[in-house]
Amino acid sequence: MAEENITFTLPDLGEGLVEATVLEWQVAVGDTIGRNDPLVEVETTKSAVVIPSPKAGRVVELHAREEDVVPVGEPLVTFAVEVEESAPQAGIVGRVPEEEAKPKRRVRLKPPTD
Amino acid sequence: MTELIERADTTVESAVVELSMQQAINRALRVLLTEDPDVLVFGEDVGALGGVFRVTDGLQKEFGDQRVFDTPLAESAIMGMAVGLAMNGWRPVPELQFDGFAYPAVDQIVNQVARMNYRTRGAAPMPITLRLPSFGGIQAPEHHGESLEALFAHTPGLKVVAPSDPAEAYSLLLQSVRSDDPVVYMEPKARYWDRRPVRLSEPTDPIGTSRIVRPGRHATLVAWGAMVHRCVQVAELAAEDGVELEVLDLRWLKPIDAAGLAASVARTKRAVVVHEAPLTAGLGAEVAALITENCFRELAAPVQRVTGFDVPYPAGPLEPQYLPTIDRVLLAVQRTLEY
Repeated sequence: MAEENITFTLPDLGEGLVEATVLEWQVAVGDTIGRNDPLVEVETTKSAVVIPSPKAGRVVELHAREEDVVPVGEPLVTFAVEVEESAPQAGIVGRVPEEEAKPKRRVRLKPPTD
Repeated sequence: MTELIERADTTVESAVVELSMQQAINRALRVLLTEDPDVLVFGEDVGALGGVFRVTDGLQKEFGDQRVFDTPLAESAIMGMAVGLAMNGWRPVPELQFDGFAYPAVDQIVNQVARMNYRTRGAAPMPITLRLPSFGGIQAPEHHGESLEALFAHTPGLKVVAPSDPAEAYSLLLQSVRSDDPVVYMEPKARYWDRRPVRLSEPTDPIGTSRIVRPGRHATLVAWGAMVHRCVQVAELAAEDGVELEVLDLRWLKPIDAAGLAASVARTKRAVVVHEAPLTAGLGAEVAALITENCFRELAAPVQRVTGFDVPYPAGPLEPQYLPTIDRVLLAVQRTLEY
């Protein structure tokens, strides 16, 4: 298995908010976390919210310290995510079709009598 | 004959290597660029990037940017340039990145490429092979899943071919590029990642011949491109029911192997044509007509067609319903058996 770094930016938290203040990181560099685990608590002018992790992986870098103000769309955290090395390489457009080992069917045939 | 099992980076001829269709086409392009200094490979992203499907990967590095090069995003210009290069003695192998984007180049293909030899009484042959990633099955956006074979097969002056597996892709591309006639070489995108042993040897079957992929005696399934694999799946399932289906890979869609079709159907007495393109005026109609003309008396049932629907090619999630399903092919087989 190889690793690939993926950076997650501060999402649009809605209602036209353009930035958020980091209150408390709930992960540290080196932690391995699951998808949807609590990642960071941020405060906007409306409220404080906990952002869940969009990925499972190992935390490589936190791009903001506590009390920093982060604009929407700026880097928040970088994960190292495991990728399968032998996975077929997709084109830039479309997906690699999945091969069924044994294709499904509903129609049965009756052999001809001749 | 001794078979050499070689790694994928070998250049030894006649070796058997396991390659994906992408790699097999790449390998054939390397052979062609090596053997003939007039061969040029060009298109959108084929050079520095190596193609959106990695088909031209490494070619620019190996053969230089004078022989493998990127073009502007302008399909009409790509084919127009191919015409000019061919008139000046080159052997162009342009790529149009996706089937649906061949339409802006149809004027060049139909009005220039296909006619130039005729127009000049043979003074300006067009040894152009248009590589056209074609057909559906990869859930791509609109204009990336079209089947244009009927349009090009209907155009006098063009040859049209659609390989179905890596070995076929290798030898059919060698034949296409070496031919002094223009060839539209339709690559089935859905099979790009299909890995199989490929014998790296010279093509032996003449242009315009079909091949029997799987022999059978109860009915013939006729297909090309990715639908050959679908028909092999159907034949394997039918065998469980005691029905032996022959799978005929038409591969050359112009010229069509009328004799090969007739020979198979004369034995099996029944035929089902399977293609991705819409039904009306699709190539299945041509195949059905040829079979009817050549073995009317042997037929035990009318030729059936299983095709895409007469609608614009659908968005990705609907693709599995649009493309001929195993059950739709099986139902058509049953109709011919019960007729």
